[in-house]
Amino acid sequence: MLELRNVCKRFLAVTAVDNVSFSARPGEVTGYLGPNASGKSTTMKMITGLIGMTSGEILFDGDRIHRDLLNYKRRFGYVPEEPHLYSHLTGLEYLVMVGQLRGLPFKRTAERIDGLLQLLGLHGSRHSPLSAYSKGMRQKVLLSAALLHNPDLILLDEPFSGLDVASALVIRNLLKEMARRGKVVLLSSHELETVERVCTHVVILHRAKVVADDSIERLRTLMALPTLEDIFSQLAVEQDPVSISREIVDLILA
Amino acid sequence: MVKTQFRVLYRQFLFRIVDLELLSTQGEISKLLGQFASLLVFLGLIFSFAVCGLTGDDMPARARLIASWGIEHLLIATTMLIVGLFAVLSWDSMFPDQRDVLVLVPLPVRASTMFLAKVAAIATGLAVTVAALNVLPGFPAPLALAPLNSGLIGLPRSFAAYWITMFAAGAFIFCCVLGVQGLAAQVLPRRQFLRVSSLLQIAAFCVFVSTYFLQPSLASPEALTAVHNQHWLACLPSYWFLGMFEQLNGSMQPALAPLAIRAWVGLAIAGSATTFVYSLSYFRTLRRIAEEPDIVPRFHRLRWLPRLGGSLETAIGQFSIRTLLRSRKHRLILAFYLGIGLALTILFVEMLAIQQQPGVASANNLWRHPNAGLLVSSVVMMFFGVLGTRVGFAMPLDLTANWIFRVTPVGGVTECLQASRRALLVLSVVPIWTAWAVVLLWLWPWWPAAGHLAVLAILGIAVAEVTLAGFRKIPFTCSYLPGKSNVHLTFWLCVGVFGLLVDQGAELELHALWHPASYAMMIAILLGAVALARRRTAVLTKSEALQFEDAPSPAVMVLGLHQD
Repeated sequence: MLELRNVCKRFLAVTAVDNVSFSARPGEVTGYLGPNASGKSTTMKMITGLIGMTSGEILFDGDRIHRDLLNYKRRFGYVPEEPHLYSHLTGLEYLVMVGQLRGLPFKRTAERIDGLLQLLGLHGSRHSPLSAYSKGMRQKVLLSAALLHNPDLILLDEPFSGLDVASALVIRNLLKEMARRGKVVLLSSHELETVERVCTHVVILHRAKVVADDSIERLRTLMALPTLEDIFSQLAVEQDPVSISREIVDLILA
Repeated sequence: MVKTQFRVLYRQFLFRIVDLELLSTQGEISKLLGQFASLLVFLGLIFSFAVCGLTGDDMPARARLIASWGIEHLLIATTMLIVGLFAVLSWDSMFPDQRDVLVLVPLPVRASTMFLAKVAAIATGLAVTVAALNVLPGFPAPLALAPLNSGLIGLPRSFAAYWITMFAAGAFIFCCVLGVQGLAAQVLPRRQFLRVSSLLQIAAFCVFVSTYFLQPSLASPEALTAVHNQHWLACLPSYWFLGMFEQLNGSMQPALAPLAIRAWVGLAIAGSATTFVYSLSYFRTLRRIAEEPDIVPRFHRLRWLPRLGGSLETAIGQFSIRTLLRSRKHRLILAFYLGIGLALTILFVEMLAIQQQPGVASANNLWRHPNAGLLVSSVVMMFFGVLGTRVGFAMPLDLTANWIFRVTPVGGVTECLQASRRALLVLSVVPIWTAWAVVLLWLWPWWPAAGHLAVLAILGIAVAEVTLAGFRKIPFTCSYLPGKSNVHLTFWLCVGVFGLLVDQGAELELHALWHPASYAMMIAILLGAVALARRRTAVLTKSEALQFEDAPSPAVMVLGLHQD
């Protein structure tokens, strides 16, 4: 289980994440939602160890992640928000490099890479440089790299960005299947419809603070709202979207 | 509206002459440009001391003439080299790239405004480069080079002649580079152009560096009029501009007159041809970028690479090999260092060729026997090869993609240092050593060849170890922070010390190759040096975290007394 306890992150005077606590359990896909600049990606980066916390603690399976960061890194897979890859490498070379960095046995990794590339429809372009890949293809490479070592914890920051419908459907089902097999899956996304279909449990962040942490079903009942979009609008959207759009049009026409 | 667009685009293009993606988050482009400018000013300061030596009255007229021509020529050649290097370094920013097209084409900006802004930015870069290099010698030089008894008008005329010549020489070399690039863009399909462009860039680099170091000294009346030197003078533009300066300065000697004409004609041809070709290819490139995607590198031949130890060493080693071979920027850095090494090697080999009498029997052939020239050449190439590769390691590629090394369990500095060490040895020591092994085993008897190859290998490892001291990074993954340390000064100091030692070392080695006891002692000393360097590297990197972001030197240094 992944557990965040009173996690804070401050950049000088700006508080990016303020006293955030929640848990992501095995067998569940946990959705991590919030408007732009609410602190989602910062939290993700703290969970991966890319940036440090100002205070609080992050635990995985009861152990603080910073106690043995190296061992913790062996156990998670991460898909970042932006598909930043080494564009001078081919898709295959990149995945082989990730396998080597993770110290995976060569033969088994090669088989796994081959299988992932075939299943995700990248096998034909495995020898093409990543600079020639579309955004969706790069996203699939990131996903393959995150799953290559059979991680216990899967962290995904906007994994559906740039994916076509068929691929998005595959990834949705893949996440559910991974959770069903006992993995901890934390998914950050703006696509509320997808989150509603994939996640059982959501954490909603607003202005760097957690404003909701429950199952979608319970939130619907408690707030007496039919969809996750309505719940999200109520908790995290301060302005009335209709009046804002009207003001934008007025401004342009003025 | 057009004026505002021009101003905005001009500023953007000017600051994009340098690759901004190299910089650390704390790095500033102005700081980086300031560092380059100060390096040029420093170089100019050295030249201005040399110029001041000419101002004394006690020098005989003939000696003064030869010395002043020598210094003038040196200043012109250096200006041309620096502008040539500037042109090669800003190669990619001469034409619009895909980002320019995607951002600017949908906006109501005329292609001509973009073109003019680009030309203005390039011209500014060129002018700043020439001015920074000549700002210090640009005042004493006209004073020293003004013709004697030229009266009141002599000094301002000399001043104008100096600056016109320097800008003309810079513009000539820049136009040549731009013209070649424009011609290639005009003639070739875009993808072909992008591939050829990378080769042209490296070739231009090698031509500039080797011409500067290897051109013969012809700045005397006898050398300028000698028949056998005329082919050299015809193809060395730095001498043409020496003629131009003398003409403008009013101190023209008959020997320089044809060179001055050549300079004016060359400048006119290069200027007009480049204006035509560049403007034509600029607009054509703009259209082609929108139609075709950017280059897709062709490197299917490099699918297999050997393992370099454990999986971490292999991952970092193979990543380094692929990056150095595929990144144009890094190849260019390496080419710069290898170019200097090669120029010095040719110089030593040339000296050997002069000593060798033609038609001498093979038993007395200098090439066939161990000699200091080849010993020094091999060591110089090894030194510059290792240094160039190590400097390349410090420059990042796709900086934003380095997260993968940060989220994977790559271990600590020690493990990564071992991987970097292997990558450095494989990329620099092994290929240079192999090339020299082929040459020496072909030329020399087996023992001296093998003996020197052993020395060369140990020296290569030692230099690699010294350059890795304090290296807490994975090659190509850490940002670059300009102005942190005086890298260039340290570099030239090292080159100076190395230059002093290498000649003495070659003589010692020549002796040792025929005396087993001396040879054994030399090997033992070199191995000891390697062990010491390795220990120093280990100490300097001990208990430090892996670095992905270059940090500024702290304002307050910690003494670390608690460790005692």
